[in-house]
Amino acid sequence: MSNHNKLTKENLLALYNDSKSYISDSESHKKAIEFINNNDFPNSKTEDWKNTDIKKITKHNFTIYNNQSYKDKINDTFYIYDLNAIQIVFVNGRFSPINSNIEEINNSNIFVGSIKEGKEKHPNIFKKYYNTTDITNANIFSALNTAYAEDGAFIYLPKNTELEKTVHILYYSDGADTKGLIQNRNLVVAEENTKLEILTSYHALSYDTVLNNTVTEIFLEENSNAKMNIFQGEGEGAFQLNNLHISQQKGSTFESNTATLCGELVRNDLVVNLNGEYCQTNLNGFYLAEKEHIFDNFIKVNHLSANCQSNQLYKGTIDNNAIVSFFSKVYVAPDSQKNDANQSNKNILLSDYAKVYSMPQLEIYADDVSCAHGSTTGQLDKEALFYLRTRGISERIAKTLMLYAFISDVIVKIENKAYKDFLFFLINRRLKQEKIEGLCSHKICPSC
Amino acid sequence: MLKITNLKAEIEGKEILTGINLEIKAGEVHAIMGPNGSGKSTLASVLAGRDIYNVTGGEIEFKGKNLLDLSPEERSREGIFLAFQYPVEIPGVSITNFMRAAVDEHRKHKGLKPMSAGEFLKFMKEKKALVELEAKLEGRAVNQGFSGGEKKKNEVFQMAMLEPTLSVLDETDSGLDIDALKIVANGVNKLKSKDTASIVITHYQRLLDFIVPDFVHVLYNGKIVKSGGKELALELEEKGYEEIKKEADKK
Repeated sequence: MSNHNKLTKENLLALYNDSKSYISDSESHKKAIEFINNNDFPNSKTEDWKNTDIKKITKHNFTIYNNQSYKDKINDTFYIYDLNAIQIVFVNGRFSPINSNIEEINNSNIFVGSIKEGKEKHPNIFKKYYNTTDITNANIFSALNTAYAEDGAFIYLPKNTELEKTVHILYYSDGADTKGLIQNRNLVVAEENTKLEILTSYHALSYDTVLNNTVTEIFLEENSNAKMNIFQGEGEGAFQLNNLHISQQKGSTFESNTATLCGELVRNDLVVNLNGEYCQTNLNGFYLAEKEHIFDNFIKVNHLSANCQSNQLYKGTIDNNAIVSFFSKVYVAPDSQKNDANQSNKNILLSDYAKVYSMPQLEIYADDVSCAHGSTTGQLDKEALFYLRTRGISERIAKTLMLYAFISDVIVKIENKAYKDFLFFLINRRLKQEKIEGLCSHKICPSC
Repeated sequence: MLKITNLKAEIEGKEILTGINLEIKAGEVHAIMGPNGSGKSTLASVLAGRDIYNVTGGEIEFKGKNLLDLSPEERSREGIFLAFQYPVEIPGVSITNFMRAAVDEHRKHKGLKPMSAGEFLKFMKEKKALVELEAKLEGRAVNQGFSGGEKKKNEVFQMAMLEPTLSVLDETDSGLDIDALKIVANGVNKLKSKDTASIVITHYQRLLDFIVPDFVHVLYNGKIVKSGGKELALELEEKGYEEIKKEADKK
């Protein structure tokens, strides 16, 4: 262990010392280590990292948790009324069977479980897909994940199968007495004609500083359909780096909805490759940033084939000194004709000090395409506020009504009613600045 | 009910109201007319509490209270209603939720319990019928995608919902065809009682055929320069404002 009081590459690698319990094969591991050795932490000069103040993370000296599964039953777990999901729980980056309920599904030929177990059970699938996207060495953190991540979720749907229940992946950090670095490594493989829905949620069990470094690769084969809801409601001391890569084949559909509600620094890197024709991808998200939050969404959608469609809608409010980034690039490859791409980012600034960097970009090399992008950042419409107030509605409630309506645009796109209702309930309370004890993250999330 | 004494107001350093005196009693309808730029809409805005206007002098007493001390929402709860000349579109905010929030606040102010969802919907239905608002409101956002006529009818509908004691109609007739005008005026007339009063701001006599005023005031250069009965409106329709302007300018 290093005694430095600042995180450096060297003490980061030293944390893992001679660990051999990583998921990757030795070659991937070696390449990832090489990448780390050859690259620095991203800084203000690094492309796509200009506004992500990584010093917020590197000023802490993290430790890693010992190699043990979490044996305690978590009391009062995060619960969404009526969700009726298959739950798979990770605590400090390790699968916690006692807190999970995956038995029922594993009687079928679908697999939902830890990647460690999945690797043993489906070695060919693992070999075919794991670490085959370029996101794994996209930056020093994703490389660190490739080099040393020890666990995560593995979901495998063989041809013509369907998951009727949502798979809810819960990542808990217990934060006990230590600044923990947690690595989650997930793999989702959906073969031809399959359908699934995933909810991932992040929760802290204490106030302590924690860094969640997650890499997820999702492979959608022909005509498969996946929905993914991401709920980011960790405590105020949480850092989250979330690398997500979606690889879509012909006729597949993907939809994500990312809700970012708290955390000191949350960065989502989302890459979608539309490899086959007639793919559709809908990326939606909302954020309620306040205090000193830094919330970043970096998106890249690569239209690599003809007749595909992608839509993006990200909306959020930024209060106090919070800083939000939305960098999104849609790339349309040469000869990828008849593509349709839409990007929209809308922000409402609630304070004079809040900042937004919004940059939807298009890079098009085909001539028969339809692409549109837009970005707006402004304050709440004063005329509308006055109008509401002249009807007897207090300024605070008038603001709530308007912000609720603003964010609702994104939430209504979620199909899962239980999760949708939960979000509506949560943001309504959050906007009214009412605290709800114990709804999420065990009494410490400011959304609660 | 309302007593305005020597009211002066400015916007961005420009004085718009230069000393208004007006007293309104329960049961009365007052029409305010005047040429463009005379300060009619400013008066309506100042009564509702729009903060872009700076009141530089004078007093407004409403039911014994100093109105200028109250926020726009407090004025509404005390019984003042402004029907906007240009009702604001509020994307995403449903009319039902909006009215629900408003009615709840008004009831709270009166010390009444909130209505149940069923009671509220019934109440809304009654008021819709009263003002002959046929448009479906369920699931629609406030004023969004409404035609000019629908927006004005929606203002009168809100007025019916909130049952104000003093309503200020700011050019409610602008942009309405004759049928819509009749419907809007009918709504206003139905809401009239011996305990309520109205200020009707208009450019045209036409509206006053349907909402018959007890008093007509002419506003010019931020002052009331002439007052009279309903016949004054007819006179203005015939002769225009030139004579009144000349007379006022002489002074």
